[in-house]
Amino acid sequence: MNSTGQHERQRVPVVLLIDDCEDVHRLLKTRLRFEAFEIAASLSGAEGLELVHKIKPAIILLDLDMPEMDGFEVLRRLKDDPEASDIPVLVISGMHSPHDKVTAFDLGAVDYITKPFDLTELRMRVRSAMRMRQLVLMLAQKAQIDGLTGLWNRAYFDRRWSNETSRIKRYDGALSLALLDLDHFKAINDTYGHPAGDEVLQTFAHQMLQEIRQSDVACRYGGEEFAIIMPDTAPEHARTVCERIRVRLEETVWPRHPNRPLTVSVGIVGTSGMTTMTSKRWLEQVDNLLYRAKSEGRNRVCTADVTMRPPRIADAG
Amino acid sequence: MQEQNKGPGGDAICSQYANDPDMVEIVELFVRELPKRLCSLREAFEQDNHDSLRTLSHQLKGSAPGYGFPSIGRLAGRLEATLREPDASQDAVRGQLEDLIALCERARVS
Repeated sequence: MNSTGQHERQRVPVVLLIDDCEDVHRLLKTRLRFEAFEIAASLSGAEGLELVHKIKPAIILLDLDMPEMDGFEVLRRLKDDPEASDIPVLVISGMHSPHDKVTAFDLGAVDYITKPFDLTELRMRVRSAMRMRQLVLMLAQKAQIDGLTGLWNRAYFDRRWSNETSRIKRYDGALSLALLDLDHFKAINDTYGHPAGDEVLQTFAHQMLQEIRQSDVACRYGGEEFAIIMPDTAPEHARTVCERIRVRLEETVWPRHPNRPLTVSVGIVGTSGMTTMTSKRWLEQVDNLLYRAKSEGRNRVCTADVTMRPPRIADAG
Repeated sequence: MQEQNKGPGGDAICSQYANDPDMVEIVELFVRELPKRLCSLREAFEQDNHDSLRTLSHQLKGSAPGYGFPSIGRLAGRLEATLREPDASQDAVRGQLEDLIALCERARVS
């Protein structure tokens, strides 16, 4: 669901080897060639750090004793780099002193393998690190998912929204944000009980997922409020999608309360190119539009286009 | 573990991985490239370049066992350790280097 998660499923994981000795490259490539990952290799720390950004390895095998930038320095820089700090680093080193080992672990290494290494042992240690990494990824993803609906949760939304807004500041892409709030939802809980309310939330989440694109990010924003981040989407397109969601919900017949339909009010703010809006201001404006949709009678979508010109407000029922 | 064959300059030492089909190719490559490494080692010694000598022996220490030549790794490691001593005598370095070179010259795939 998140972009990292998607990548993990789509491609073979890469193990990056940073070692100044070509023999080690050759030996590892031979010994690990039947493993379920690819090996990328670099002969210096500086080059290795560059590669980390390019290939986003699953695991890094790092030599310590290298000329110019040594492995400790590489490790330090990896851990200071928010994009790389989560990648498990296995140190492979000819330095056998406990002091070196302790320093490496202090700096964030997950394992320390001494040279000359036994290749079977190394293979097992790499596999074990791979397993551990899968579990950590799974946990990290779980912590970002709303338990009831399976959508991304608020914490994930906050981080993703801030990333998306800073991304379009750099690339001038299109971006839309929708906030959707179920109308009179509290009455469902009060009248038909919480199981009925939960069912509404789950069904609505499911309907949203069916209407949005793969690249859109649907989140449970809180209570009966939902958010959809739509990268590369101009506001008029976001509006079309949200209209579909609105109509679909309106037409849904609920087994527990067939005579009590549900509706949703939606606010959308988007740009089809340049904008100077901050993420916070953007969110406030979406909230205002949602409020407007509510006050104009609910069950409607209010949209604003903020593409580097004075906001134009359009609404529909 | 190592087979012993008679060869020029003493008994040949063979790779532990001589019969490992995965490894044969890169072991051959290692053995073929050994003379080049020995040249570099000699050159570094003659130029009194201890840094380079240490790097070369360090690499050999780490890699030779991987190709199935642990004894070469041990001698390279001894030389590297000597080079790390601040008051390493030129004679000690020379002696250990000669031992290492003599051993490497006996290396064969099988």
